[in-house]
Amino acid sequence: MPSATLPPPPPQWVLDLHSTPVNKPKNASIADPPGYTASLTKKERLQSSKTAMRKPPTPEEMDTLKLKKAWELAIAPAKQLPMNAIGMYMTGNTLQIFSIFMVFTLFKTPVLAVLAIQRSFAPFETPGTSGRLIGVKLVYVLTNLLMLGLGIWKVNQMGLLPTTRSDWLAWEGERTWSERALPRDWL
Amino acid sequence: MRLNAAVALAACLVPAAAIFEDDAYHIDFHHALLGLPKHDATFFQKPYPASKASLLFTISENSTIGVVNPRDGALVWRQAPSPYASGNGLLRSGEDQDTVISAIGDRITAWSSSDGRVVWEATADGAIVQDLEILEQEDGITNVDAKDAIVLVGDGSQGVRRLDGKTGRVKWSYQDASGDVPFQVSSSPTTIYYISLHNTLLGGSKLKVTSLSPITGKKIDQYTLNSDSEIQDHEHILFAGANTAAPLLAWTDKANKVLKFNIIGTKAISTFNVPQSVVEKIVLHAPGRVNSLPHFLVEYRTATGLSAEVYHVDLKKNTISKAYSLPETTGKGTFTVSTSDANVYFTKITTEETTIVSSVSHGILGRWNVKGSPNLAGAYPVHGVSEVVVKTGKPSAVRSAVLFSNGQWALIRNGELAWTRPEFLAGAVSAAWAELPEEETLAHELEVEGHQNVVSAYFHRVQRHIRDLEHFPAWIQNIPKRVLGNLVSKPEESTIDEIQHDTFGFHKLVIVATQGGQLAALDVGSRGKVVWSIDLHQFAPEAVFQSPSVKAFRGYVEIKDSAFKGSLYVNSTTGGLLASKDIPVQPPVASEGQSLISFDLVDGILTGFLGAQSIPEAVWTFDPPAGERIIGYTARPVKDPVASIGTVLGDRRVLYKYLNPNLVLVTTVFDAARTASIYLLDSASGQILHTFSHNDVDISRPIPSTISENWFSYSLTIDSTSAATSRGYHLVVAELFESAIPDDRGPLGAASNASTLQPSAAFGDAAKPHVISQSYHIPQEISHMTVTQTRQGITSRELIVTLAATNSIVGVPRNVIDPRRPIGRDPTPSEAAEGLTRYMPIIPFDPKWHLSHRYDVVGVKEVITSESGLESTSLVFAYGLDMFGTRVAPSFAFDVLGKGFNKVQMLLTVVALFVGVLFVAPLVKRKQINTLWTI
Repeated sequence: MPSATLPPPPPQWVLDLHSTPVNKPKNASIADPPGYTASLTKKERLQSSKTAMRKPPTPEEMDTLKLKKAWELAIAPAKQLPMNAIGMYMTGNTLQIFSIFMVFTLFKTPVLAVLAIQRSFAPFETPGTSGRLIGVKLVYVLTNLLMLGLGIWKVNQMGLLPTTRSDWLAWEGERTWSERALPRDWL
Repeated sequence: MRLNAAVALAACLVPAAAIFEDDAYHIDFHHALLGLPKHDATFFQKPYPASKASLLFTISENSTIGVVNPRDGALVWRQAPSPYASGNGLLRSGEDQDTVISAIGDRITAWSSSDGRVVWEATADGAIVQDLEILEQEDGITNVDAKDAIVLVGDGSQGVRRLDGKTGRVKWSYQDASGDVPFQVSSSPTTIYYISLHNTLLGGSKLKVTSLSPITGKKIDQYTLNSDSEIQDHEHILFAGANTAAPLLAWTDKANKVLKFNIIGTKAISTFNVPQSVVEKIVLHAPGRVNSLPHFLVEYRTATGLSAEVYHVDLKKNTISKAYSLPETTGKGTFTVSTSDANVYFTKITTEETTIVSSVSHGILGRWNVKGSPNLAGAYPVHGVSEVVVKTGKPSAVRSAVLFSNGQWALIRNGELAWTRPEFLAGAVSAAWAELPEEETLAHELEVEGHQNVVSAYFHRVQRHIRDLEHFPAWIQNIPKRVLGNLVSKPEESTIDEIQHDTFGFHKLVIVATQGGQLAALDVGSRGKVVWSIDLHQFAPEAVFQSPSVKAFRGYVEIKDSAFKGSLYVNSTTGGLLASKDIPVQPPVASEGQSLISFDLVDGILTGFLGAQSIPEAVWTFDPPAGERIIGYTARPVKDPVASIGTVLGDRRVLYKYLNPNLVLVTTVFDAARTASIYLLDSASGQILHTFSHNDVDISRPIPSTISENWFSYSLTIDSTSAATSRGYHLVVAELFESAIPDDRGPLGAASNASTLQPSAAFGDAAKPHVISQSYHIPQEISHMTVTQTRQGITSRELIVTLAATNSIVGVPRNVIDPRRPIGRDPTPSEAAEGLTRYMPIIPFDPKWHLSHRYDVVGVKEVITSESGLESTSLVFAYGLDMFGTRVAPSFAFDVLGKGFNKVQMLLTVVALFVGVLFVAPLVKRKQINTLWTI
């Protein structure tokens, strides 16, 4: 077959390699690819400094951005959760200074975070976002509660939660017997 | 909780509680007692011929052979009698021998003098040994080898036997079929005299003397002495000499008016009149050594004074003559005789002085004033033995071992009291922990506060503290002394006051009553010091005490005995008698709303009565099945605090303990079938809660049992000849739970009150406990067992068992005998967390458990335990022949600083820090000011 005898067309990169790049036409209508900055001439530089001031985003855009950021903040504790869980699992259930410290931070961080919720969301607070931020804050509280839950799970694993009968044994009293019998010679 | 489990596990991993080396001999004490020494069997003797110092040998009234170092009163060796020995104990020793020979009942034993090992032993084949003498000379020649013993036996085959001194083999035996009462044997170089009492028809006794050949044992001669007008029984014979130093028979009439002497081997009787008109007692003192002069002293005791006469025997002429007399002196005392070479010295010991006279003349050769001692206050010498040191023909020193009338055995060396041994304590039959009045008041006040509402209880408390302020100045004054006492080792002395203000509560009094009617208080905290002792006869003059029992109440003890009706009340801090009207009212045993039921063994049937009075109709009876008889019962102690009402399992669930204060454990045996049964009863209703039965039990052995909290244990012996697969000594432990299911409170549910008499219909029938039991093999027989007690019952308990075979007391930790130990498999992790280990059928008594460590605690009758001021520590006191006291901390002493804590170092550190602060403070201040100025 004639087609079989023909060699395959060379790949594009071979062609690219062999053909030297053509100089960019002076006034090409094709825009530079994003991120490419062609070396500017003096004139151009002058021109750009005059005209290239970006247009500031509108408040709506700003709000969207802030909300996005706020969401990131709200979900951040949940992202730490798997790592923390593995850490907790690895430390075992014995009472040691390390595990006690870890559990302590596990309790401290969420509580402090929830307490400081207004401060941490203050940068994102605008008249436009304030309504929508409530949901974000709720999620933030929830994720922190997840962290706290991990702490509680850990404490339970360590046997420090009074969840069993034995923990309340001290509050249970001995029965009082309505009779008292003694050997005669003890009286 | 898991934390608890972890702690429990840690407690299992550390070695079981043991006595620490630095605690031994400090926290514990042991009175190795003998009993009151017998006069005729107490002597100073060299343990072997070349020995420089002599030892003090004695056999006591309870047939304990003891050897005491005369220097310090320490026991060198001791042989306690087997509990089946009867008859009176005899102890003799030949001169220059290294053995002593004893006869108790039908057993004649030669002991090595220096260490108490058995050299040989012989039995009299059922007959009782009446007398034992050593054949010092044979055919006029002193034996140098082991000297033979001459034994007089009666009560069975009557006669005289000669036993070989080396082997105890019978050399010859003389049978006496006359039926006369055998009395004594006496030896002379050529003859052995066998003295018996021939009862005449008129009631008196004639002394019959039979002379035997020492070589063959053949009868040589026999004669009787006309003594039937004076001698009614044994007691009228004052003396029968054992050898040539005192070849005498002496007797007196009933009124102590006439003295009659006979030189053994002759028929002549010399008669002397007693100088005093009213003589209470006549005692004859003659030397025991063969080669000493045949001089003797007759001591006359009157109600107020003491006098004596010295007689000489002329062996050639066979006459007895009075040499001189010692004038009567007031004050009670006694004479002792001692020899030095051939010379005989008589020592007179009174409460004031010791004087020595020679048997030859009445001149006083030595005189020492006796210094009084609180141990001997009010007591007088009863009898004694002396050893005199003679230098250049004159006695230079004398030491006398004297038994005092209050039962103290003392050694007086040249008038100085060298030591005393409280021998009257031997044979204690009952003991109780005294409750002192002071601490009880506080307990009462706290009780009052507990029952009030918060506000009034608070005011009550404030008022109490204000009242307590009156002790404040004294307390302040005491601080330097206490601090010093803490830093420097404390003096051993303790007074009642100290016992009352003892912070740790280690100083607790035990009131001990002895068989002879002596009552003594011992301070267990200061090594068993006798705080006071009294003779109960002074309160009940006519009574002959059998076995007084002691019961402690607040501030006083009650003593009961079958010898007298009613009870004696004795103040527990002073030993003074209390009149019945002075006795403070006791709080009722049953708390409010509880009905009291008492039970007792009536005609072999355990019977419960309503109330303390003996109302004829019984509430319940427990009659064991046919053939079985009740041999004992054990009830839960009145004071048995339980800290936790459940056992926490490894998975944090709870097994609820069956806590019934009315539990009683009844032990019965069936003699014919050789079975023993243990019945667990509820003593309020008489209902049987549980039963154990064992076959092939050796019912002649003791079956001790104890019950505490929610568990009980007992021990028995399975007959070795039985076909049972597991023979030997068993220890059975059983634990009672409300339900087999964790977290379940059984049929009674969460009800806070319970009754076994009227079980509520709502809860069904009376709740029966779920019983888990386990039995263990133990290497030794247990003769008695009890359980440690602590203040609140938080500390784990220890089973304290007495091992009679090795004379020791062992504390077995509770977790070792836990019936819940898994059988045939390793414990699961949750069981391991509880501290349970795999069941092992054999419990070897770990040497570390021995509370008595090196002490040889002989003849323990009972062990009693008490709480101390510290929760961790329980006080233990054992009595019987010996007294032993210690304190145990089954979970270690967690609430008190150990001995290793260096208080001085701590104080020095504090002082050094303070000094450092003083120096550094100005520097820091200056620096701070400078920094302020530089800004």
